Order: sequence, then structure tokens, then C-alpha cells
Amino acid sequence: MAEANGRRNTADEDIRILAFLCNWCSYAGADLAGVSRLQYPAQVLDVRVMCTGTISPYFVIKAFQEGMDGVIVAGCHIGDCHYLKGNYMTAKRFQFLQRALEVFGIEKERLRLEWVSAAEGEKFANLIRDFTRTISELGPSPLRQGRKEVAVR
Amino acid sequence: MKEKVAGAIRQALESGRAGAVLFLAEEEGKLIPRLVRDAGDPAIERAYVGDKRFPASAFAAISLPAVDGVLAVVGRECDRRMMNELAKLNHLDLERVLLLGIPCSQELADACGCDHPVPPEPVAEAEVRPAEALDAPSRSMDIPERLAYWMDHFSRCIRCYGCRNSCPLCVCKDCALEREELAGKDCFPPDIPVFHIIRALDMADRCIDCGICELSCPADIPLRELYREVRGLFKEHFGYEPGISAEDRSPLSFLGEAADLGAHE
Repeated sequence: MAEANGRRNTADEDIRILAFLCNWCSYAGADLAGVSRLQYPAQVLDVRVMCTGTISPYFVIKAFQEGMDGVIVAGCHIGDCHYLKGNYMTAKRFQFLQRALEVFGIEKERLRLEWVSAAEGEKFANLIRDFTRTISELGPSPLRQGRKEVAVR
Repeated sequence: MKEKVAGAIRQALESGRAGAVLFLAEEEGKLIPRLVRDAGDPAIERAYVGDKRFPASAFAAISLPAVDGVLAVVGRECDRRMMNELAKLNHLDLERVLLLGIPCSQELADACGCDHPVPPEPVAEAEVRPAEALDAPSRSMDIPERLAYWMDHFSRCIRCYGCRNSCPLCVCKDCALEREELAGKDCFPPDIPVFHIIRALDMADRCIDCGICELSCPADIPLRELYREVRGLFKEHFGYEPGISAEDRSPLSFLGEAADLGAHE
């Protein structure tokens, strides 16, 4: 799997990414990527939600707290939401949260908001490859390192 | 000042503009909130006008069901803003409250870094200049340094919930900070930084920067700085500042139109 993004090192293997995928578009997109046998890094943990509008910013913060190195929120394109306007809230919340993360001292690149439709398996695979590369360049989340230190003590 | 406030309280009751008045009275060296219905009440003479602060609007929200007609509240500009926000949260009926605004002293305004020390129609005029904003050490830091700064402060947290309990605008019955799946089970110390970030995110479109959280924090966590940074960012991002008016609504409280979404299509 790791060859797919052209790198193979321990840092790469070690990172953990959480992806919130909307049931109607992005999860189907991920499914298409799978059925089409597109290769992408395997460190991604998918969470299927009915709509990205149901994801609270708390969940993203909690993911970082629990040691995730990056979080992806992927939903339907604007205008294509199964619930008509659910992703409007997603866009507002997470554009703001990306900037707010910097206030707390977390790099904003660790959270990504993308629109992936059910037909965009290729886009999904590319997104995961690209995001994994970004996160491995950033390195493991500082919160995770902090947790380890606390555990040792 | 004290006479003017007492006069305004009596005038509000005698003219029938208010059915009751809520103010802080100084009794035997203690400050006690008083709800007075009669203009001849001796407590009016003891109305407190000074630098000690209390969230008058939160007491107003509690006292309102016990009052017929309009409740007048002696409060500062912060209280006016709190009332606007409480009204947006459906916790206060603005038609039924009347603010008898008192200006803050210059010392208080400077200590608070307050840019709004005088309410729109004060009962007593005062020459108070808006103070310079307090400095925020975290602003000039780079990102890893900033995390270290906050974690250092958060690590002192004793999970007393003082910030939440004293906050006049923390009114949710189901509080995210008590959810074990979010902020940890009744553990000590709390999970940091998630505990504080959850509150900071809630404050982004709600906080009116009264600073009561920081006053009540036994661990001296610079909560005001944290909330002010988030709120400043919210204003920059959405152009919305809480408290200023009762009409506008937080962009996160409604879905809106695709055209408002900005960078993402």
C-alpha cells in the first residue's frame, strides 16, 4: 500500500488518519475507489455518517485528542447534498475550525474539508494519497507525543 | 453616581416603567442581589455602584418569571450584550427587561481592556475612555510554541467547571463537557486540550468578553485570552460579533445560502 504514494518509511506507516465520509457521496466514492482497485495508503480509518452536517467540531478535536494525526471531512458537493443544505453547515463549521485550530496550536493542514461525489473514486484515492503525504511531512501530531510522555510518567 | 442610580431605580418603579428592579445591594459588607418592587424600599439606598462585577443579566433571566411586567436591571454595557445573547438563546424576553445602564470606572475599563465601558443610555454620565486591548502572548507565537503555551496553562485545570458555571451564556442543559465520550469520564485532570477547546469553540459566537470565567478560575488559566482569540477569528471569518445587536444571528445557527459559503464553491 505504502508504495502507492511513492514512500515507504516507518513515519509513513505510523501515522493515523480519520476520515468522516458522508453516506451518500463520499462513502460511495471510497467504495468506488475500492471496487476499481485503486491503490491508496491504508492508514485511513473511515467513519460513515449520514451527512457531514451532523459532524460536530467536537468530534474532530476529540479525534486529535485520541491521537489521530489528521482528519478528513468529505461530503457531497455543494448543491448535491442528499438533505439539500446539510453541507452548507459543514462548509461554515470546518472552514472556521481549520483556522481556529491554529489558535490552539494545531496545524490547520491536519484538518481537510473536501467534496467527493459517488462517481469520484479516483479523486478519493488521490485525496488520501495527497493527505497522507501532507501528514507524513508534518509528522505525528504533537498531542499524540504529549500523550506518550504522560503515559511513561 | 450612587444617588443617580438610586434615583433611576425609584423613577423606574414610580413611573410604572418597571414592575421590579434588580440590583446589587451592599449590606453588612456583603454584596447581595436584590429584587425590589416598591419605590420606598430602604434597600434602594444601599444600591452598589463600584468595580465589583456580577452577571446581572443571568440573575435577570432567573428572576423574570417572578416578576409581573417589565424587570429593570442595573447593569453595565456587558450586561446589555449578555441580554442580547440570552435573547438569541431563547432564555430572556427582551421586551420584558429594561437596562438601567451604569458606566464602568476608568480603572475597571483599563483592567478589563474594555472598548465599551459606557452603555448607550447611562443613568449617570461619566467620562470614561475606551481602554487599550489587553495583550495576548499567544498571538505572536508560532504554532508548536502556542500549543505548548496552552497545554501548560490547561494542565493546571482542576475540572471545577467554574468557567462554565459562572458563565452567564453557558446555558445548555445537556453540556458537552459532561459527556464522557467527549471530555473524558469524571476524571481528574480533564482530557486536555479537548476540554478547553470544546468550550472555546462554543464561545466563538457567544462570548461577550465579560471576563467572569477568568475571575472565577482557581487555576489562573488565561481563558479570556483564549476566547478573545477565537472570537476575533470568528469576527474576521464571518463578520459576526456576538452581543452587539439582538437582531443578527450567528452564522453557525442557520444553514443560509450557498452564496455565503465563500472559498468552498
